Amino acid sequence: MATWTWFHRFGSPPWVYGFARRWTPWFGGAAALCMLVALYGGLVLAPEDYQQKDAFRMVYVHAPTAWLSMMVYTTMAVAAAVGLIWRMKVAHAAAAACAPVGAWFTVAALGTGMLWGKPMWGTYWVWDPRLTSELLLLFLYLGYMALRAGIEDPNKADKASAMLAVVGVINIPVIKYSVEWWNSLHQTPTVMKMGKPSMDLAMLWPLLLMFLAFALYFAAVLLIRLRAELLRRERNASWVREVLS
Amino acid sequence: MSEFLSMSGYGKYLWPAFALGFGVIVLNVIMAVNSLAKAKLEAKRRMEMNP
Repeated sequence: MATWTWFHRFGSPPWVYGFARRWTPWFGGAAALCMLVALYGGLVLAPEDYQQKDAFRMVYVHAPTAWLSMMVYTTMAVAAAVGLIWRMKVAHAAAAACAPVGAWFTVAALGTGMLWGKPMWGTYWVWDPRLTSELLLLFLYLGYMALRAGIEDPNKADKASAMLAVVGVINIPVIKYSVEWWNSLHQTPTVMKMGKPSMDLAMLWPLLLMFLAFALYFAAVLLIRLRAELLRRERNASWVREVLS
Repeated sequence: MSEFLSMSGYGKYLWPAFALGFGVIVLNVIMAVNSLAKAKLEAKRRMEMNP
């Protein structure tokens, strides 16, 4: 019963707007703090790798951006599915708010990966399954945003883009398991895998803290974007007048 | 300090990667805050037009 009350609350634009306004500083502050500690841990405290030397420190920016690019898409697809199934406007707004954030983090994942690839593989780019499926993720984000922008009726834009987001989620397991399913230049997972991570604790804790920082950061940015989306969609509602006056 | 910046010779790849990653972090905050400010402004304008 309590779960359904919670679910219904998230269907109410004024409640979600208030929730987002209250929680953004907490998520943002915690993200900044975790990020600073993780950066110090990763760049200063962690020992160098016996094979990659200091180049391994690239993991502290590449892995969290790549993980976030997939996590944001999954969030977007779940929100889009909720919007389609329960016709919840807030869910469609959340999906729309996810897209630009996810697209930027996919660009960062590809760019940081290229900068790591050059000294390790001798090339910035190869048409490797992991790199190619991550590039496809960027096109999915761009396609989602282009589709929304191309349809004038907001309800039709919500439905069409939600369908694309839900269908496109198939690419997430392809990215995740591409290094195991096919021969790949990209290394296999070191942290997100069954069993113990193959990384020393001194190197691991800053990475795990950075993952947490990125998750908190995403929550903060999503809540700001969600407020903007709700204001645009609900511009004629009385609660908007109350909130802004 | 120069040893730290050199990162055993990989600094020329490592620092641009960090600049890109954290540049995207800052950019996303700026874009989100701008988007909210614009939405508020549009809503206020609408309120003034239809009091």
